[in-house]
Amino acid sequence: MTWVGRLIRRNQLEKQVDAELQFDYEQRIEDRMRAGMSEAEARRTVRLEFGDLELVKEECRDARGLQALDSLLQDVCYALRGMRRAPGFTAVAVAMLAVGIGINATVFTVTNSVLFGGFPLFERNDRIVYITSGTGCCVSWADYQDWKSQAKSFKDMALVHGVPVVLGDRDGFRESRDATLVTSNTFRLTGQRPILGRDFTPADEMPGATPAAILSYAYWERRYAKDPNVVGSTMWVNDVPAAVIGVMPRGFTFPQNQDLWMPLVASPELRKRSNRDTWFVFARLADGATIANARAEMETIGRRLGKAYPLTNQGRNLLPHVVTFQDFFIGSSAASIYRAMLGAVGFVLLIVCANLANLLLARAMGRAHEISVRMALGAGRWRIIRQLLIESTMLSGLGGILGWGIARWAIRAYAVVANGAGLSDQIFGGRWFDNVLDYSMDYRAFAYLAVISIGTGLIFGLAPAHRLSRLDVSATLKDGGRGTHGSGRARYLPGVLVIGEMALAFVLLAGAGVMIRSFLKIDTANLGFKTENLLTARIALPARAYPRPEAQAEFFDRLTTQLKALPGVDGAAICDSAPTANTSNLPYELDGGSAAGGSRPAVAVLTAGQGWFRTLGAALIAGRDFNEGDSAAAAPSAIVNQRFANANWPGENPIGKRLRVFSGDTASRWLNVVGVAPNIAQNGRTEFEPLVYVSYRQGPLRGMWVVTHSRIPPDRLITDFRRAVRSIDASLTIAVGPVSLAEDLARSYQYKGVSGALFLVFAVIALLLASIGLYAVVAHSVNRRTPEIGVRMAIGATAGDIRKLIFRRGMLPPAIGLAIGLAACIPVNRVLKSALVQVSSADPVSLAAASAALVFVAILGCVIPARRAMRVNPVAALRQE
Amino acid sequence: MPASSKSDLPQGTLDLLVLRVVALGPNHGYAIGQRIQQISRDVLQVHQGSLYPALHRLENRGLLVGEWKETETGRNAKFYRLTAQGKKSLRDETENWARLTGAIGLILGTDAGLAE
Repeated sequence: MTWVGRLIRRNQLEKQVDAELQFDYEQRIEDRMRAGMSEAEARRTVRLEFGDLELVKEECRDARGLQALDSLLQDVCYALRGMRRAPGFTAVAVAMLAVGIGINATVFTVTNSVLFGGFPLFERNDRIVYITSGTGCCVSWADYQDWKSQAKSFKDMALVHGVPVVLGDRDGFRESRDATLVTSNTFRLTGQRPILGRDFTPADEMPGATPAAILSYAYWERRYAKDPNVVGSTMWVNDVPAAVIGVMPRGFTFPQNQDLWMPLVASPELRKRSNRDTWFVFARLADGATIANARAEMETIGRRLGKAYPLTNQGRNLLPHVVTFQDFFIGSSAASIYRAMLGAVGFVLLIVCANLANLLLARAMGRAHEISVRMALGAGRWRIIRQLLIESTMLSGLGGILGWGIARWAIRAYAVVANGAGLSDQIFGGRWFDNVLDYSMDYRAFAYLAVISIGTGLIFGLAPAHRLSRLDVSATLKDGGRGTHGSGRARYLPGVLVIGEMALAFVLLAGAGVMIRSFLKIDTANLGFKTENLLTARIALPARAYPRPEAQAEFFDRLTTQLKALPGVDGAAICDSAPTANTSNLPYELDGGSAAGGSRPAVAVLTAGQGWFRTLGAALIAGRDFNEGDSAAAAPSAIVNQRFANANWPGENPIGKRLRVFSGDTASRWLNVVGVAPNIAQNGRTEFEPLVYVSYRQGPLRGMWVVTHSRIPPDRLITDFRRAVRSIDASLTIAVGPVSLAEDLARSYQYKGVSGALFLVFAVIALLLASIGLYAVVAHSVNRRTPEIGVRMAIGATAGDIRKLIFRRGMLPPAIGLAIGLAACIPVNRVLKSALVQVSSADPVSLAAASAALVFVAILGCVIPARRAMRVNPVAALRQE
Repeated sequence: MPASSKSDLPQGTLDLLVLRVVALGPNHGYAIGQRIQQISRDVLQVHQGSLYPALHRLENRGLLVGEWKETETGRNAKFYRLTAQGKKSLRDETENWARLTGAIGLILGTDAGLAE
């Protein structure tokens, strides 16, 4: 029954009791009158007989067991009165709680949407899984058909692929946008449907069907000003007319922040099992199926396909992989940062709890007398504990409400900062994803808020409640409430709590320190190449226009030649991965080495064109660059970096050695090492990894990064760059860029800067709270010891002696806390390791700075109470005694 | 209380008496009190301050159910009747009472014999 419902029912019952007694009363009077009494006399006797009517009612109420609610209400009223009586204490407590709960709710909400969320507006995101091949990217349409028809662990499965397109209208307007090609069941699988028009049908994906397009809400709004008549109209997609058939709901972005969806038409090219260029499959788990079931089943299916199609499907790397949203889109480095943040704000909340426990303990001593009186009057122990816990949860509840307000504001601020820093780009590890994260509070976030609001109240209320409920009533009443603080272990509790606070604050400070140091170092970090004056762009040649490798190679040849001819440009080259960008790993084998079976080691393999190293300002260490001689007909050549050479041929000359790489179980031809390159950073790290470069001319690809080095600022080249691309192929769009590499890098570092700054904010809050906590404890002890200080002064202690006394006691908990924090922060900081750049997780500079900050605030926390102690007037203090 | 000739009820027996009286037929609080007085030939007089809490207690425990009905005189009153659980409780408690009074009687009898 609800609280209100109970109150209403209570009122009705009350009325019934009234009516019942009234009836009895009147019946009695009637009986007396029938027996011959006058009415006045009858009334008088009955009133006497009845006695106290209110008492009867009260007893009826008790008999019904309503007192539980009544006394609860009483406790709540009592607590409210207490809060009003101590507005200063209430304000401080609620403010600390609001900060602690607010930042926890904020970080939980953000972490929740990053780690456990999924694409916005998907129904039951927790039942959606992503399926990809073992290499992490890309699947084949033919495999998808087999998976879909054979797997039983899924309700449905859809295939998704993204392409850049040129959109236009009849009037010749053209613009580059992103389209996602999807199987026709995609939207049904997500649980969403177009708000206008219709969904795709299987007929739309038939080869030869009129191309159909469904617009995103954002594109509909921007390009068509939300004109509902757009459904049924025609637009030009890559200069082919397409029918607009629908508009998706606002906020629906999948998988990137793109503009329209079109059916994935099963062309003969797409149907080839060897065509593994399609982005990924996503699926909804069947009712009752777990991700483990799905994994096992898909592995079996993958092996079966491997046997059936040995040419295209054999090998571990081609087995289907079932992964969660987090595994697929959020990297482990981002995940560990978010987890660490959650831990950090958890620390802050613990510090808040410790502070409040201390404040309440101090206050409890003042209330010992009041509580003793209540106990002497018959309040049970449980009643007292309940009363105190109600008070503390009311405080934390108020803090929770204010904290909710703080969280709402902070989440919005975070979204602005995060989007500004391209955080979701960074998390998604690619340039396709742009701000798709929805940082709003869902039911999980609200549940979390409610749990921590009530939980903190119970935690920090427990110690004082326990203490007060065990008062020695008669002793307390006798000495007026002063004799209650000195008993046994309990005396040390405030000090222990401060030690804990200081240790937690130190760990946070140290963590923030290494993150910030890492951020500062990143700018000056040695990436192995010169970042200045580089312009990068990614070009993906459409398969239809460039089917043959020769045509692809010819395009990039012409482009680099034209770029080199631009005024101010002194180098241009291509590679399938930009410097610092992600690479894919392939298993490899050395000629004459690794005779043993076992699993082969893997190495990142990059496809580079001639002049790549020269353009990056990283001259080859030994051997030669790729050149025209490395033609498709010649023996394949490779360049290895220094790390690879040192790891595999220590002390030997790598030139002339041979290795081969594997795609699945299929080996490449033997690659002759012709050169040794300096180490260049890849995969977003600054520690160098072993790399192998193969010649572009001997294995052309459609998608490549083009990099130019110029003597002039690269921004001034952007127009010329575009013009050069257009002069070779006017229909081609540039997938990414052209963008200055240095600027791009700065943008991606900003992400680390943002998380470092957040840690610093949390650490500073923690430190402030801990110093307030220390101050409160020291001030309280000075208050309590005023008579003692008076005596000391009276017998000759100087102000300096008193200061020493206070500081010695006051600085002890921070000192112990510092020691514990130092010991604890090294293993704790290891969590951050994957996010750190050229900074050890036990960085001495950070630890020293954190220690200095801690000592500084500890001194601050002691100074004011020590001043007060030094000003104690011995005469007044002694008189008080 | 001035009437010294009227006995006080032993603790806990009021509930039993109320159940017994209600077992004779549904009735309202006032009539229940009157019946107890009549049947005990005015020895037991139940005060409202005990009777009504007892009625509410029994109702709360599910032994009685109260219903608002019209009396013969056309007034609205709350009539109590026994529930199945109430009947069972009455049976058990009556047995208990008989055993208890029997035992007490035995002891008092022996006591008297010793004194003589």
